Amino acid sequence: MTKNRLFPVLYMFVITLIVSTLIIGFSQYTEERVQANKELTFDTAILKVLPGMYEPGLSSVELHKKLTEQVDKPTTEGGAYTLRKNGEIVAYALPIEGQGFWAKIKAVIGIAADKKTITGFVVYEQTETPGLGAEVAKKEFTGQFENLEISTQGKPITFRRAREELQIGQVHAVTGATQTSTRLEKIINDNLEQWLGRVGN
Amino acid sequence: MKRREIKNLVYEGLWKNNPVFVQVLGICSTLAVTNLVLNTIVMCAALVLTLSLSALTVSILREFTPRNIRMMVETLIIAFYVIIIDVLLKAYWPHMSESLGPYVGLIITNCIVMGRCEACAISNPPFKAILDAIFNAFGYSFILLIIATIREVLGMGTFLGFNVPYFSSQYWDKWTIMVMPPSAFFVLAIIIWVFRSIQMSREDKKK
Repeated sequence: MTKNRLFPVLYMFVITLIVSTLIIGFSQYTEERVQANKELTFDTAILKVLPGMYEPGLSSVELHKKLTEQVDKPTTEGGAYTLRKNGEIVAYALPIEGQGFWAKIKAVIGIAADKKTITGFVVYEQTETPGLGAEVAKKEFTGQFENLEISTQGKPITFRRAREELQIGQVHAVTGATQTSTRLEKIINDNLEQWLGRVGN
Repeated sequence: MKRREIKNLVYEGLWKNNPVFVQVLGICSTLAVTNLVLNTIVMCAALVLTLSLSALTVSILREFTPRNIRMMVETLIIAFYVIIIDVLLKAYWPHMSESLGPYVGLIITNCIVMGRCEACAISNPPFKAILDAIFNAFGYSFILLIIATIREVLGMGTFLGFNVPYFSSQYWDKWTIMVMPPSAFFVLAIIIWVFRSIQMSREDKKK
């Protein structure tokens, strides 16, 4: 039978069938988990950029509960999640995304009610170079955005070289990650300007 | 299988025929994922798993696989295990999956895996195939870990994310180039040079 000319074709077909069935089955089985993980990183990012909302050590269920109970989903605020206290808006959380060096960078930016200050910044999905561009997702970099005033002249946010003096609306870029920094700066500014245009100052 | 034969497999995989510094295979991943030790460990674990499981499967199927399509079958089997590992990481260790990015998927193109399937698994019984695969994977892993350690300590002053005395202090000016891709070339070249020199001098002594 193995001498038959059709055998290789049949053999390949059967092997492919078995392997793809297994893979499809396996990814279906884990799909829910993968999806939940993605949602969880997003939920956490939203809570982290809003002032006083994130507590470390919360379980995924508690995190999700906190988000659904206290934060309003975007309806009219130009696509931003809103945190209200006694009916008054305290802060916005604006999900932003754009092309990074290797692939899409997804982030959330927190903005105070007066739309003049950033309350926080979290990059929750990126595939930049580990150790270089990927540093933009680390606290050392994102921490700079806390209570950062948005510049009203020129670009809302400007990345400066490390060690340079900072003025209003400026943060230090990651050394050695020029590609990621330039792109991220553009993503932040484009989205921020668009959003400010939509909701009005 | 005799003990001597097993010993020989260990010696070949780890030293005499080391996939990285003798055969110079799998260099792309050596260059790509070695700037942090933790990433390297996970990458090596993924390679050990992929390599041994694919070698096992290829070896079990070797009697049935027609010769002319064997490479297609091998690639398919390798891809299968790599995708499974990739999905596993995404589901149960999302953080690591993020920081390794596309490199887990790229194990499919790692020549060591294909090389071992072709050189050993396709013509040997499962037990020998899996041993050969495991020790080759270890041979690859220990070189990668050496490179990663050098790069992380010199470039970031840390080891596995923990500060290393002296290197993380202000007296050590961190070599940013060590975390950038070019440094992997230098470190790899130096390592190949050192290990090959040791090997050669030993061979000379034997004569």
